[in-house]
Amino acid sequence: MAEPPKLRVLMVSDFFFPNFGGVENHIYYLSQCLLKLGHKVVVMTHAYGNRSGVRYMTGGLKVYYVPWRPFVMQTTFPTVYGTLPIVRTILRREKITVVHGHQAFSTLCHEALMHARTMGYKVVFTDHSLYGFADVGSIHMNKVLQFSLADIDQAICVSHTSKENTVLRSGLSPGKVFMIPNAVDTAMFKPASVRPSTDIITIVVISRLVYRKGADLLVEVIPEVCRLYPNVRFIVGGDGPKHVRLEEMREKHSLQDRVEMLGAVPHSRVRSVLVTGHIFLNSSLTEAFCIAILEAASCGLLTVSTRVGGVPEVLPDDMVVLAEPDPDDMVRAIEKAISILPSINPEEMHNRMKKLYSWQDVAKRTEIVYDRALKCSNRNLLERLSRFLSCGAWAGKLFCMVMILDYLLWRLLQLLQPDEDIEEAPDIRLCHHRGVEVAKGLMEEDKVRN
Amino acid sequence: MEKNLAGDSIPRPKWRKVAYGGMQIGYDDNYTDESFLEEMVMNANVVRRDLLKVMKDSVSISQYICIVALVVLVWVHTLESSLDENSLLLLDLSLLASGFLILLLTEEKMLSLSLLLRYIVNISFFTTGLYILAPIYQTLTRSISSDSIWAVTVSLLLLHLFLHDYSGSTIRAPGAFNTPNLTSCISVNASIVASVFVASRLPSRLHVFAVMLFSLQVFLFAPLVTYCIKKFSFGLHLLFSFALMGLTLYSIYALHRLFFLVFLLLVLLVNVVCPYWLIRMQEYKFEINGPWDEAKLCFDITD
Repeated sequence: MAEPPKLRVLMVSDFFFPNFGGVENHIYYLSQCLLKLGHKVVVMTHAYGNRSGVRYMTGGLKVYYVPWRPFVMQTTFPTVYGTLPIVRTILRREKITVVHGHQAFSTLCHEALMHARTMGYKVVFTDHSLYGFADVGSIHMNKVLQFSLADIDQAICVSHTSKENTVLRSGLSPGKVFMIPNAVDTAMFKPASVRPSTDIITIVVISRLVYRKGADLLVEVIPEVCRLYPNVRFIVGGDGPKHVRLEEMREKHSLQDRVEMLGAVPHSRVRSVLVTGHIFLNSSLTEAFCIAILEAASCGLLTVSTRVGGVPEVLPDDMVVLAEPDPDDMVRAIEKAISILPSINPEEMHNRMKKLYSWQDVAKRTEIVYDRALKCSNRNLLERLSRFLSCGAWAGKLFCMVMILDYLLWRLLQLLQPDEDIEEAPDIRLCHHRGVEVAKGLMEEDKVRN
Repeated sequence: MEKNLAGDSIPRPKWRKVAYGGMQIGYDDNYTDESFLEEMVMNANVVRRDLLKVMKDSVSISQYICIVALVVLVWVHTLESSLDENSLLLLDLSLLASGFLILLLTEEKMLSLSLLLRYIVNISFFTTGLYILAPIYQTLTRSISSDSIWAVTVSLLLLHLFLHDYSGSTIRAPGAFNTPNLTSCISVNASIVASVFVASRLPSRLHVFAVMLFSLQVFLFAPLVTYCIKKFSFGLHLLFSFALMGLTLYSIYALHRLFFLVFLLLVLLVNVVCPYWLIRMQEYKFEINGPWDEAKLCFDITD
């Protein structure tokens, strides 16, 4: 007889399947591991095209695709109070205890966290990116983050550099911020059974071809390396605005046979591209935590990367060669990588990665954060308002007004549709009985009612 | 856990700033080491400003405001018919000649004869074109009421002053390359449109031509001339600015007492109050740099 789930978590973010990316993968894998640990996880995100409503994914993961249109870069249009009714309904229906928001750039996440705090739920936030302080966009984003995190219970960052950045941006006390890294699905990213021959050294690059990911550095580095080493070839996967510059570089130096451009690579095919190579090159100009490097290391590739953001923390020194984001230094790093390549054993690297990173470990550490969040004391409205006042001379008062209005709207909603009227969804737990999946939840509920 | 004689447990391993290997033994995930924020650098690129230097630099701004005020004065006198077209034409010619003279004297390398000839040819084309188009300007705003014209002119001039590029000049002597940005282009256009509007209120074709030539000369070439003077000698630049300020204040005083007071306050604001305010605000500057910053490329991206 299955015991009732220990925690009931709602993951909120604008970024989820069918989109592919770091945040999306993180939410998915974390949810799956939490489900295996026996907790209940529900995901809330916005509708993707026709994919709207409630969907069930592997392991009984329930996903609410709320019918809000995304407006720029996959984030929902911010209406501040518009999401209050749906968030309240979901929280009551699923009997949620902890709300976990992801990614500072996601407006849905901030709104849901705000409503959850108004209604008295415990709230955890994970930040996945690094932001600056100087330009107009960053200043506004940081103010929004300050508002969101003023009243939070716990926060999670994916690397130590990211923790420093988040603490500076939001003014949180460092003791509230936990460092839990991402991980990689080592079962999916296995090295090739037969290692490709090292007569021709293949360097793989898989990234979006944008300025932020250092595509301009690639344009400088690739011709130089091809000139110095006649037996090196490149495979470049990914697409973006800088695609044109790379094509021009190929034409200018006549490297058509030595540089292969694959275009956009779907996530399911990334592993098959990685295992054809010996070295993985990452040239990004800023990274909080680079999952691409983990995937490459799990496939047995030696990594060459720029020393930016959280990258130095990700892999041990013998699995990665770091360089400054400068073409000459990167060429030197590639030279060093080529020289130590014979001593690399992909199988051994893969086995080491299995011990260094696993999603189960991430889930256990996140569980500890949830428990700490649940132990935080409940605060009433007045105590919470005093936290917002410290956000700034004008901003503090504005935030207080926003929260008071949110509280009043919540009370109004409670009048119009009392909490008891919101029907609670039964827990459907899929369990394996001699290989046959049986939905036991409904039967249990019937027994209880009768 | 084994305990030694002193009763302490085995010391936990040193904390490392790494993300791999799971939770570090003996440390919680929210453990904050002493090396936290160690690599943060504050106010690395901030320029320390000196009050006297800022005041001297603000003289360029008040000099340009005086130039614009003088142009407006000439417009007002022409509209009131206290300045007739012949004296205007004389003014234009003398301004052109003196501007040329200043450019010749202050240019470090000698302008060759062919370059000079090209300048003269360009100027004559410009002037002839303006003379031919003068009738069009004269009838341009006949159906619009005067009040709208004055309102639009004033707002365009304010826009021009606000967006003007005070650090240099949009038109440089040949050899110097400077890409003008969007705001300086907008400001030049605003001033030209304002001149056209004012010129369209004048009675005769010669009036229109004279005022247009005067306005365009000043708005297009005055920044270049003042830039050359400033480059040549800073003392001369200060002398020139103070002379201009004196001339403007005297002329406005002769026109209207209230405007004189307002203008005097404006000049004091720009030259004294604003530099002091800027220096005071510098204390609040808080620039943060650290390993989380996006890396800057050290080479130029040439497309």
